[in-house]
Amino acid sequence: MRIVLPGIWSRGRWIAEMCCVACCLLFVASARQTVGQPAAEWSVAAAEEQAFRTAVDRVAAAVVRIEAAGVSEASIGGPAEAAPAAGPSSGLIVDPAGWVVTTSFAVPKDAKQAIVVLPGTPGGTRVVARAVGRDLARGLVLLQIEVPAAAAPLPSLAVAPRESWGVGQWTIALGRAWNSSAPSVAVGILSAMNRAWGKAVQTDASVSPANYGGPLIDIQGRVIGILAPVPADTAGMTMGTELYDSGIGFAVPLVDLLRVLPRLQQGETLSPGILGIGYSARDPFTSKATVATCRAGSPAARAGLRAGDTIVEAGGRSIARVAELRHVLAPLYAGDSVELVVERGSADGGKVRVPLRVELVAALAPWRRSVLGIVPTRTANKKGENAGETPGVPVAWVWPAGPAAQAGLVAGDSVEAVATVAAAGEAGSSGGGERLEVSNAGALAGFVGGLAAGTVVQVTVRRDGLPLELEMATVVAPATVPELVPVSEADPAQAVVEKLPAPEIAHPPLAVLPAAAPESPLGTPLGVLVYFGSPQGAATGAARAAAETEAVRAASAQWAAAASRYGVAVILPEPSDPQRWGREDIAGVARALDSLRQRRPIDLSRVAFAGSGAGAAMAWLAAEALGPGVRGVALFNAGLPRQATVEAAEPGRSRVVLFGTSGGQPVPRLELDSRRLEEAGYPVGMLPPAALEQVPAETLCSWVESLGVL
Amino acid sequence: MQTGKRSGSVSGICCGLLLGWLVVGAAVSAAPPVSPEQTIAGSARCVVKLYGAGGVRGLEAYQTGILVSAAGHVVTVQSTVLDSDEIDCVLDDGRRYSATLLGCDPLRELAVLSIQGEDLPAFSWEQLPRVAPGTRVFALSNLFGVAVGDERVSVQHGVVSGVVPLDARRGAHEAPYRGDVYILDCTTNNPGSAGGAVVDWRGRLLGMLGKELRATTSGIWLNYALPVDEVEQGYRSVLAGQGTSPTPTAEAALDSVAMRFDPQLLGVVFVPDLLDRTPPFVESVRSGSAAAAAGLRTDDLVVAVNGRSVSSRTGVQHILAELATGDRVQFTVVREGSIVECGLGPRPALSRKP
Repeated sequence: MRIVLPGIWSRGRWIAEMCCVACCLLFVASARQTVGQPAAEWSVAAAEEQAFRTAVDRVAAAVVRIEAAGVSEASIGGPAEAAPAAGPSSGLIVDPAGWVVTTSFAVPKDAKQAIVVLPGTPGGTRVVARAVGRDLARGLVLLQIEVPAAAAPLPSLAVAPRESWGVGQWTIALGRAWNSSAPSVAVGILSAMNRAWGKAVQTDASVSPANYGGPLIDIQGRVIGILAPVPADTAGMTMGTELYDSGIGFAVPLVDLLRVLPRLQQGETLSPGILGIGYSARDPFTSKATVATCRAGSPAARAGLRAGDTIVEAGGRSIARVAELRHVLAPLYAGDSVELVVERGSADGGKVRVPLRVELVAALAPWRRSVLGIVPTRTANKKGENAGETPGVPVAWVWPAGPAAQAGLVAGDSVEAVATVAAAGEAGSSGGGERLEVSNAGALAGFVGGLAAGTVVQVTVRRDGLPLELEMATVVAPATVPELVPVSEADPAQAVVEKLPAPEIAHPPLAVLPAAAPESPLGTPLGVLVYFGSPQGAATGAARAAAETEAVRAASAQWAAAASRYGVAVILPEPSDPQRWGREDIAGVARALDSLRQRRPIDLSRVAFAGSGAGAAMAWLAAEALGPGVRGVALFNAGLPRQATVEAAEPGRSRVVLFGTSGGQPVPRLELDSRRLEEAGYPVGMLPPAALEQVPAETLCSWVESLGVL
Repeated sequence: MQTGKRSGSVSGICCGLLLGWLVVGAAVSAAPPVSPEQTIAGSARCVVKLYGAGGVRGLEAYQTGILVSAAGHVVTVQSTVLDSDEIDCVLDDGRRYSATLLGCDPLRELAVLSIQGEDLPAFSWEQLPRVAPGTRVFALSNLFGVAVGDERVSVQHGVVSGVVPLDARRGAHEAPYRGDVYILDCTTNNPGSAGGAVVDWRGRLLGMLGKELRATTSGIWLNYALPVDEVEQGYRSVLAGQGTSPTPTAEAALDSVAMRFDPQLLGVVFVPDLLDRTPPFVESVRSGSAAAAAGLRTDDLVVAVNGRSVSSRTGVQHILAELATGDRVQFTVVREGSIVECGLGPRPALSRKP
């Protein structure tokens, strides 16, 4: 800061005084800026920096480096471009007797050992660690090391009690992956508590593979939690590593880990606890926890929970939404018990509260949907409610040789009630006496679908105005395409081929829509088949117009007859890149379906995707993306795409899969794929080989109708 | 600076205040800045925005530079942005200059530019020891080119996470520099950030933000800075005219990253390299070899070579290649649940076999 005062002495006292006053004002202003409050700012900052270091020093000796030992890249994950791979990571000594906790990121599921590098010597001391216990719910692994005789005794930790946490407090994330001599330090604040459904706290300090397994500490050096890639479980982030260094980091509370430490030390694997129910609601944040399905043999079924019950209390907390129930259940492990209170409709039309105690389990056998072999009349209602005045679900046709057919149930009957009589096998501990007054097809599907195959039920039907009791045993949902599906007399010549325009869609897909046929024995609403063809390449100008005309003609020739016979709307999407299908085309399909629903009534229980070759891969990926609403996927001349994730079937998340070949082309991995799907609980069917390049339109359209089987 | 010697000619109170102000002013000019705003204002004067080539293949055409001499020398990272006849340099006060490339240090991937101007501010080279993790820092850079007009670069705040050797790559290429870098806990791996300044709370230059790189082993993006002593060495080597050709060490480093040393020369055969990262399990040991003499056995898992951890066969080959001929080779192996050290003696000459 320089000051020059020219001219003061030559121009006299007046000017000098004026300047001096100005200087005084300047001084006051500058003093305020430079030596007043701002100095305090820096002294606070410096004191904080010192406090960070002191806190780090208190816990540094417990922060270790973890190196993988004998783990091949393939078992860890994809290439580094897609997701972080396991390089060196971090761990925390949680018990001076030689117990180190780290994450399953550093020590993946099949790894039995790892290397722990203890700090304190130049370059660190490597020791072999055995993976003893795992917490699969939180992604933590407990390692045991033998402390070398020469090494210093292992340190113990100061724990930050839960009551001491406050959102906004300083937090420091430590790791030791980079370097063995000093822990890495990242500073932030505690952003939130009870994240990942109550399993983690959140911080804005940088959390990455380098400090996963390291501690999140408070400014006093007490450990709040263990940094971990906890999946946020939203927006498709399932690995938890997607958010590294983003300002969104998670730590599993140490107090929670210490509670289960003795079990992990005993070699236990702690799994997330599963209840075994499916909810009727799609959106967990707005809907009540009403049970749509209750898996046979599941903890919920054993405890006496039933489809139609609404869970109103869990673990002593009142539950108004599915999300609240998840908050109570997600932190629990298999083997933990939870007290539930359900609200259930009583015989007198009122509601009763039923207390239950449920012990959660680690895994359920893959769900295989059970059916009776009846195919209800189509309905455009979301819940499958019957449009008519009468209660019950009218039957359009019965599956040939299915349980219902054998028991004498016929088309035209209306199913009014179903009750379990006895169950075959040990799974049916739901016992007898469970009864559903059938109000809609959705409820019937949930009730029957949740029963173990072989459960004997008494079905009350109304035929010609008179009630009739029929007894039959449920079977696993079939994957075959039955013959003798009733057909409509609609005139194929009346079918229309039109574009399904939707906002923001550059190439609206063609749709083949059968003429409205009020007399169809299946019911008026349409089934939907989305068929993904092979990309045809680009055409421009006049060629484009000609190609479009040809596409309309071909669509009509190929699909109009089958679509009319079975009352199916066939949508033929086009890829936005003429050379290839891409994920961006999925949104277009969703829009086209919406657009179709606005034009014609649709039966949502009969929506299927199909495709051939590259189109088949697209059909699978689109069905995966659009969720359980797609009831079937047919793949011609293709196996599952490599990116396919086959999650175990659950109530409300299963679909029929058909494979087919044409022209005698062998499809690699087909047997492997179909076994993979079957093991995950999906009905898998194989179509007989078709003639050359012929899309089996008839088979596909009748299959769409058959997807409605209950 | 003038003092208030003739203060008798003005009113006493004013005079006292004036004197006080001048004393304070003197103290401030000698002492470090006392507020974050002052630190940043002082440092930002010496950080410039650079605009050059780019735009092809989605590469950005801008980055950051640091004024390090009043003669108008700007250090920055060596990049495609500089592959242009016209490099524009914009100071924080909006002054614009055309910059000339003086030379590059290929080891540190550092470039020195020159601008012709009057009264140019500059950081001074201070002999600072490496700072410890937890040190609070500001990072000033032209990130994402968001400072579009005459205004200053953007400022981020964080701490030094660690001081570690760089082991990183860009795409398939490994970074030639293998020395220490500062890892930062703020996100500085942004387009345009490279060449930015990292300063401590006193406004002292601690380092220069590096190019966008991923860690070799984990593939995560690194937020890092080249320490100031390395920046200065790179700068001096360019000025001395050595910068245009790699130094011997740099050459060795550049060479070795592309090279693999065949461990069979030491008598070790590893399990076949079937995956990208096959763990280095010993398949067999040739009798009479250095490995046999060191007591290495079939099924041993190598976890470190000369103290540096490895998780794959190729990792072992790379580390061996980086050693000089005659350097002692030490394998740390896991055998039946214990760590065993095996000294394999001097490394033979590098085989040119890939």
